[in-house]
Amino acid sequence: MAYNNRLILKSQEGKCPRQNPPHGGDGFQFKVRGPRDFYGGLALMALAIIAILASSDLPGQSGFAFGPGTAPRMFAGLLAVTGGIIALTGLLMDGPQVDAFAIKGPAYVLVAILAFALLIRGVDLRMIRIPFTIPSFGLVLSTFAAFIISIMGSSEMKWVESLIAAVAMTAFCVGLFVYLLQLPFQLWPAF
Amino acid sequence: MTDLLTNLALGFTVAANPYNIGFCLLGALVGTLVGVLPGIGTVATVAMLLPITFGLPPVGALIMLAGIYYGAQYGGSTTSILVNIPGEATSVVTCLDGHQMARQGRAGAALSISAIGSFFAGCVSTVLVAALGAPLTSLALLFGPAEYFSLMVLGLIFAVVLAKGSALKSIAMVLTGLLLSMVGSDLETGAGRMTFDVAELSDGIGFTNVAMGLFGFAEIIRNLEMSAESREIVNAKISGLMPTRQDLIDSSGAIARGTILGSILGILPGGGAVVASFAAYTFEKRISKNPERFGRGAIQGVAAPEAANNAAAQTSFIPLLTLGIPPNAVMALMVGAMTIHGIVPGPQVMVKQPELFWGMIASMWLGNLMLVIINLPMVGIWVSLLRVPYRLLYPSIIVFCCIGIYSINNSPTDVVIAAIFGLFGYWLVKHDFEPAPLVLAFVLGPLMEENLRRAMLIARGDPTVFATRPISAGLLAVALFLLALAALPMIRKRREEVFVESEN
Repeated sequence: MAYNNRLILKSQEGKCPRQNPPHGGDGFQFKVRGPRDFYGGLALMALAIIAILASSDLPGQSGFAFGPGTAPRMFAGLLAVTGGIIALTGLLMDGPQVDAFAIKGPAYVLVAILAFALLIRGVDLRMIRIPFTIPSFGLVLSTFAAFIISIMGSSEMKWVESLIAAVAMTAFCVGLFVYLLQLPFQLWPAF
Repeated sequence: MTDLLTNLALGFTVAANPYNIGFCLLGALVGTLVGVLPGIGTVATVAMLLPITFGLPPVGALIMLAGIYYGAQYGGSTTSILVNIPGEATSVVTCLDGHQMARQGRAGAALSISAIGSFFAGCVSTVLVAALGAPLTSLALLFGPAEYFSLMVLGLIFAVVLAKGSALKSIAMVLTGLLLSMVGSDLETGAGRMTFDVAELSDGIGFTNVAMGLFGFAEIIRNLEMSAESREIVNAKISGLMPTRQDLIDSSGAIARGTILGSILGILPGGGAVVASFAAYTFEKRISKNPERFGRGAIQGVAAPEAANNAAAQTSFIPLLTLGIPPNAVMALMVGAMTIHGIVPGPQVMVKQPELFWGMIASMWLGNLMLVIINLPMVGIWVSLLRVPYRLLYPSIIVFCCIGIYSINNSPTDVVIAAIFGLFGYWLVKHDFEPAPLVLAFVLGPLMEENLRRAMLIARGDPTVFATRPISAGLLAVALFLLALAALPMIRKRREEVFVESEN
């Protein structure tokens, strides 16, 4: 049995039989054939289950009328089934590997966006039990900060060029949103 | 006929208002400006520029958005021809022959034929939209909740069938979109659904946050992975912008056929523009006397898909304006914009706000005209924009998106939500899930649920109502048929071939 399984594992690309049980003999390593589909489907199933749990407290159908919980549970159930089938296809059929996720670029982009969100109006962190309040930095500084942080995610970043571009972009955004579109932004820090 | 003319006249008086002309012009300009950036497609452009229209009066805002849409499409073709990077699926086909023409030093002719083809298609389909608007609106009166629900199911199935890759995964995306649209207060009872006691979620997840995250931020994160060398810009100076007489003669038939195909396919829900450009290209290749020239810089290979794609872009407004159902992701964004301006898209728009309805139709034509007038002389500027290194472009796009999202509700939380959707979008791409069906479903979700609930209530809880009412049954039958087609291995193979051809 164990020998047989190893043989199957070696001939991944080939036309190997599908009936090998996941809980096979000793020493058997289970192999996902299409990781891209498998993990994608699993994650969607997880999402569906979270949705089902989150809407479990909502009243369902009463009489002929749908309750607020009926449709969310219905669609979440369908999503769980679809995600399950996708994961199963990924398990049983050969498919592409999951491409490596880049870390640096996305991380800087994410931090830049979060920095913008935190700085533009300021946040009272005491609501998440951190005794600190970020003051409101205003549009100019938060735009500038977000630009500089996100540009740091690029491997080709040059400081002088970046600073000039950041100033130019900040000026452009202030001109467009504040002067041209007349949106009520606070420009400078208020503290 | 006289009705049509009076209506169009009303439309043109609205559109010819100097402010509205200005909005249309500005929209077409910024749309091209953003659309020309490599890797940013029409949906991303419209999503990104949505916030700047919120401060405008409703008519002006929608006219500007329509301008942005056309501009973005035109910008996408420019990038396809010059850089060989299609911003999105509709300009993929243009790459095939357009970029070859550019390499042969005929970029000018390719660009101008694409503009002329688009303009001609725009003229024809504007009239078509105006002519079909009224009869389709009366059709809408026959629609009850059951029919609306089935129509939306059909639209989503269309989106599934036309999406790239596995149909099953697109269905999963549709369901995810529907589920996400249900976060927030319940329409009837006001009960908070799946809000996890987060106050900001009680109003639901903002549509712009989802769209900006999935199309703006995710796109940037993904593009960051690509190295700079993968972009190849045609450096030859673009000379001889005007096409020769022979070019015009060669392409006139292709433009006409592309227009007809595009107009028909655009009305169908679920992303007609993509199919239209593929269909037009394949059709031209098939009827051509020398098909071997296609892929090697045949001018018909640029003219036909560009005309088809523009005609379809125009006629895809028909289901939105008459039935209130967005047929694709861009139209879904338009619904978002309309809702923010307090307009409920649908048959009542034409009756209650004729100036909006006809003004928009007239501005479609104006927008097309402007693209020809402004953009041809400005091709040089767009090309120089393509030379701006990506390392400077992407931070600009990020801050622009951040400010845009923030400006809608003055809410930093919205920015954070968009960032989360950006990461989610990046993950989706890594797992071959397409975000477009998700966004379409997200917009249709509340409408679908409302109609489903009403239909069930009217039918006294009997789900067979969807199969017993003839129109609804017909729509569902078409949806089932399409789904079966997509599942059949033979057709699936053909679909893959089409997309493979597009990728090379």
